[in-house]
Amino acid sequence: MVGKPPQPGVLARGLRLGKLGLTLTGSYLGYQAQNLFLGESEQRQRRFEQASSQRVRQELGSLKGAAMKLGQLLSLQTAALPEAAIQELAGLQMQAPGMHPTLARAQFKASLGKPPEEVFRHFEEEPFAAASLGQVHRAVTRNGEKVAVKIQYPAIRTAIENDLKLLRSATFGARLSGHLPQAILDEVQRGFLEETDYLHEARNLEFFAQGLAAFKYVSVPKVHWDLTTERVLTMSFIEGEVAGAFLERKPAAAVRNLLGERLVELFYYQIHKLRALQVDHHPGNYLFQTDGRVGLVDFGCVKKITFDIAVIIRGCVARSWRQGDQQARQVLGLIFGPRVPYARARKMLATLEVMAGVLFPEGTGGAAVVDFGKGEALELLGRAMKKAVRDKVTNPEFAFISRAEMGLYSLLHRLGAKVDVTAAWRRVEQAGQSGALDHTV
Amino acid sequence: MKPTRARAAARPPKRGKRAENKEKTRRAILQAALDLFAQKGFYHTTTKAISRKARIAEGTLFNYFETKEDLALYFFEQELAGIVDWYQHDKRAQRAHLPEKLFGIIHHLLERLGPYEEFIGAVYLRALQPSSKLSPLSLSSQEQNLRYLRFVRGVLAEAAAAGEIPETGDFGAYAFGLFHLAVITYWLQDRSAGKEQTLALLDRCLKLATTLLKKGGWEW
Repeated sequence: MVGKPPQPGVLARGLRLGKLGLTLTGSYLGYQAQNLFLGESEQRQRRFEQASSQRVRQELGSLKGAAMKLGQLLSLQTAALPEAAIQELAGLQMQAPGMHPTLARAQFKASLGKPPEEVFRHFEEEPFAAASLGQVHRAVTRNGEKVAVKIQYPAIRTAIENDLKLLRSATFGARLSGHLPQAILDEVQRGFLEETDYLHEARNLEFFAQGLAAFKYVSVPKVHWDLTTERVLTMSFIEGEVAGAFLERKPAAAVRNLLGERLVELFYYQIHKLRALQVDHHPGNYLFQTDGRVGLVDFGCVKKITFDIAVIIRGCVARSWRQGDQQARQVLGLIFGPRVPYARARKMLATLEVMAGVLFPEGTGGAAVVDFGKGEALELLGRAMKKAVRDKVTNPEFAFISRAEMGLYSLLHRLGAKVDVTAAWRRVEQAGQSGALDHTV
Repeated sequence: MKPTRARAAARPPKRGKRAENKEKTRRAILQAALDLFAQKGFYHTTTKAISRKARIAEGTLFNYFETKEDLALYFFEQELAGIVDWYQHDKRAQRAHLPEKLFGIIHHLLERLGPYEEFIGAVYLRALQPSSKLSPLSLSSQEQNLRYLRFVRGVLAEAAAAGEIPETGDFGAYAFGLFHLAVITYWLQDRSAGKEQTLALLDRCLKLATTLLKKGGWEW
């Protein structure tokens, strides 16, 4: 038998889900559709503008761009999903509906039991940044410490759960045909739902603060557990600017390159040594300082990596697949997973070759510097993923990693950074088992 | 003549004092009842316990409130008056845009009702019966309803004057009143943490409604 035939219950289920969508709070896509219809983001943008910070406006602008890219990416990976649905799902990483001060206060109180003014010495009622699924406010604790308070839009988890149910029934066909492995949906669901739990994010913050402690140039916010719940996350305030505002100061090429190298190093360190990766690489997650310091502030979406990615990277640096069938099998097996037959995966070798050529250029004599300003890496990665979907070789393990990789390259592109990726990888690879980097840029 | 005028002048305060005392007792009874409802629940609270807590004779209690419905009616009257009072003293709420303002009004009421959820749930069911004093169609509840609706009409008129929405007149106030009832119903059965579903519902509906009004949705 070739898979199960569609069950008669599917339609009924769809109808039931449709009914769920009737409650206005029922669907995140509903919010998004409504936003589209209401032009809320425009309104929100204006409000932010009025609220003085041009910086935030720029950030929102860039978020929109990133959301689009993410949408493209997800739709590449899951080609059979309706484009609009994917775009919306991807966009929800960054865009929850805006909250006016009264709602933000109400939600804070609903979650913490007390309104912000009773808990903080000072609380700014206008948010200074949009965050995944909510917004961030500045505040000062009773002890006088500056903090950032992230507040989640109410009931968003239920809304996302409903959408995912809907998505599952909508993509039944695609799952049958194998264009969309069940595992990818599971992966997407796990990631999104984890992201709605700020306690989970708080634990991630602690994990990364510890894991990245060796990098003196990195700041990760400290969690204030007493003021943190599933919906409210209070953390120490990290100085720095998001990419847009930072670039407006026209930082020197040397600084941009330094930051680029550090971002690549951090990326490799996370996937190789920590075996966990902050995958939501939208520009708002990084705060830059002109002395080259990097603040990592959003750990809502973290992917634990279950396999040794070093083998893949080493393979790419050395083009191990050229050395023989066995080596090719090993690398391709890791990249595309055990479920994709070698014959099919082999078709991706040419793409892999090009990718490696961009990221780890050969025969340059000394430094193998990649100019991310050219946008080649970004474009190639996009094309490679498209091909992977077409050839049905998508690997669920990579759903989030490639999203992060895409985000990283797009950020490096914006920075116009020139980075020796190969060298950054070698530094990470050779770092002591203790996790501390002896030699960091 | 003089003494008469003096008497006439003296009379009103005397009557006012009596009314004031009466009102004080009414409030004391309500407070006692609410405390007990919150403590023991609506159904487990006896009139005896209420009168004891309010320090009055049980018979006196019935002079003030014939039924639990009367108590509820008085309670809502107080709460609605409380909102109007809050709004008039809250500069922030007055300054806000309409969706936020209306959100604030309903949310403020829900916050006040919060501790007495069970009591409200119980009387709410009764209110749906046309014969009930609490029914929105009942003559007993008309007065307080109208007072509140006039307040809402005023708020909407302010927004219209500021160009936020077109003139909606009485109809706007009625629509909001109905919405208000619907939200309380939703709120009563909302089991989400911190009743956040209600927050989301309120926010989305109000934004949608004001935007529709603004974009000329009123025409149809």
